Amino acid sequence: MSEIKPTDTAATNAGEENDWAASKYFSDSLKTKKPKPPKPQNAVTIAVSSRTLFNMVEERKIYEEEGVEKYMAHMNQQKHENEPLMPGVAFPLVKALMTVNSRLRQLYPDSEELFDIVLMTNNHAQVGVRLINSINHYDLTIERFCMTGGQSPIGYLKAYMTNLYLSKDGEKVTEAIKEGIAAATMFTSGDVENQLSDTQLKVAFDGDAVLFSDESEIIVKQCGLDMFFEHEQEFENIPLKQGPLKCFLEALGKLQRKFYAKNERMTCPIRTYLVTARSAASSGARVLKTLRSWGLEIDEALFLAGAPKGPLLQKIRPHIFFDDQMFHIEGAKELGTIAAHVPYGIGQKYHKGELIEQTVKDVKDKK
Amino acid sequence: MDSMVRNPDVKQRDAAQAVVVAVSSDAIFDPEVEQVHGATEPLRKGDAFSFMKAIQVVNERLLTMNSDETLLFDVILLSNDSEEKHSRIIASAKHYGLDIGRFCFCNKEDSIESLQSNKVKLFLSTDTKDVCKALQKGVPAALLFRQTDPHHQTEDQLKVVFSGDVIGSSEEMLHGLREQGFTETQLQGFKTAKGSVKEFAVLMGEMRRRFGLEGSPLCTGLMTVWSSRDVCASALKTLRGWGLLVDEAFCMAGAPRSPILNLVQPHILCLDGLYHMEGFTAMS
Repeated sequence: MSEIKPTDTAATNAGEENDWAASKYFSDSLKTKKPKPPKPQNAVTIAVSSRTLFNMVEERKIYEEEGVEKYMAHMNQQKHENEPLMPGVAFPLVKALMTVNSRLRQLYPDSEELFDIVLMTNNHAQVGVRLINSINHYDLTIERFCMTGGQSPIGYLKAYMTNLYLSKDGEKVTEAIKEGIAAATMFTSGDVENQLSDTQLKVAFDGDAVLFSDESEIIVKQCGLDMFFEHEQEFENIPLKQGPLKCFLEALGKLQRKFYAKNERMTCPIRTYLVTARSAASSGARVLKTLRSWGLEIDEALFLAGAPKGPLLQKIRPHIFFDDQMFHIEGAKELGTIAAHVPYGIGQKYHKGELIEQTVKDVKDKK
Repeated sequence: MDSMVRNPDVKQRDAAQAVVVAVSSDAIFDPEVEQVHGATEPLRKGDAFSFMKAIQVVNERLLTMNSDETLLFDVILLSNDSEEKHSRIIASAKHYGLDIGRFCFCNKEDSIESLQSNKVKLFLSTDTKDVCKALQKGVPAALLFRQTDPHHQTEDQLKVVFSGDVIGSSEEMLHGLREQGFTETQLQGFKTAKGSVKEFAVLMGEMRRRFGLEGSPLCTGLMTVWSSRDVCASALKTLRGWGLLVDEAFCMAGAPRSPILNLVQPHILCLDGLYHMEGFTAMS
């Protein structure tokens, strides 16, 4: 997780250049105004699953209740194939990424440092036609996709040099994180699209166990808050270790600096937020110093000192909010924020501050 | 002039109904640099071995479901080797229990004619150049992908990947390729690929339908390397019209195909016939 994109010199060879040249020709020659997709090693690649991109609740029901053959039959019916699917929970994020790309292309017409959105689904390829029709309907710039027909997407995520993977399937997301890929599980929230900015991409991150490792989180859970505060003050000048989404923040920062370089800081179409339960006075300094030591900036750092995150997020209206604790995810969702769970670290063993195994044990004891 | 030798250990298929494929002997058995005169021990396994095993699995499953099944793979081993090696090849096939119906021994110059006279649906080779040359001469051919990753090799499922660039292509695209500087010879390769794929796809579709969505010993895929997603959608619909519902689909839009192929580990990979992809084979 220490590099945004691994540089592989063996990757440049005659065959690849041929593929690249042919593809470039193909998009140049088309009379459409579609821009050419960037080379994966230069882009910030975001892989979205079909269920996060589109609302497929009805279809999912058929799959779960009637099985895969009935599901396929349903999807393939001519009348459904041409029906565009409804936008899903990652749809606003994708539109925002596209907005950033058009601003980047205006300022840097020849650069390949752009967002590249890949559709990564373990749907059967036959669903592909309906998905492509829907992508066409909304005019989304998604040129790359991977329909694995039931295979795990994890290997493919690496092959596409994915910087961030979004899915509704917590198991796949957990596997991705274990493999060192930034990933989060998205949940359906209310209809927030018309409230979100369509000129600025807003991404909010929790601190511990998201941007940073869960080392401090462990202290809170095992030794309590007082120990935590003491510890953080003592170790203020020691940077925290990085967490699963640090590299994604880094990738966003790199793109932000491209706007700053062209004097567009005030109108930068990317804005990042840190929304942490830490308090500024007692444990906030370490966080800010860690970010500085990494050479990363965050636009707004919000220290809640334990207050609920929901109301603040409601004001920010991010296109996505990452947190490792389901408690915060639920709080955010309740007030309409698009929240994505990062299943990493000690937070997964707890629910509302209680160790999950222990509560089970208590129940057994009471019997 | 070729000499066709039937393999007595393998039940002969009905060539009119079967999927007749020709595989070069250099793919099945490691072509030895040093030919020890008079050596008799079995030849070493070549890169196409897992392919041969996978074909066997498919045939066995088909026959288990229907002992009178005629839609089976029928493999012809095509060899340009010297006469003294012929019996060694036959003996090696027997030693490994390979499902090879016939051995075709001929000169390199006569290979094309042999393929055509034996109504071979597809000529398979592990050498990209040979595949492209065959296509450019009008012979339907595809690549036997070198499965070098031991963690991803498949012997219990045959994987066939079709080219979306070829199947979904339009006349306009062909014209565009010409403008981009591809020679008429290369374009002939593309045209052969396009003209011959339907027959093979129809057969694969029929075979695939013998099995359910899950647990099939035959897995089909579509890879679109340099064309747009609309070409990919067009290819999916075309294949569907031919009776083939592919399991997997990948659209690269110019991104390198090797990392994906190394994961998919296809046995048969249909090429577009345009390039001599030296770099490509070096990657495997």
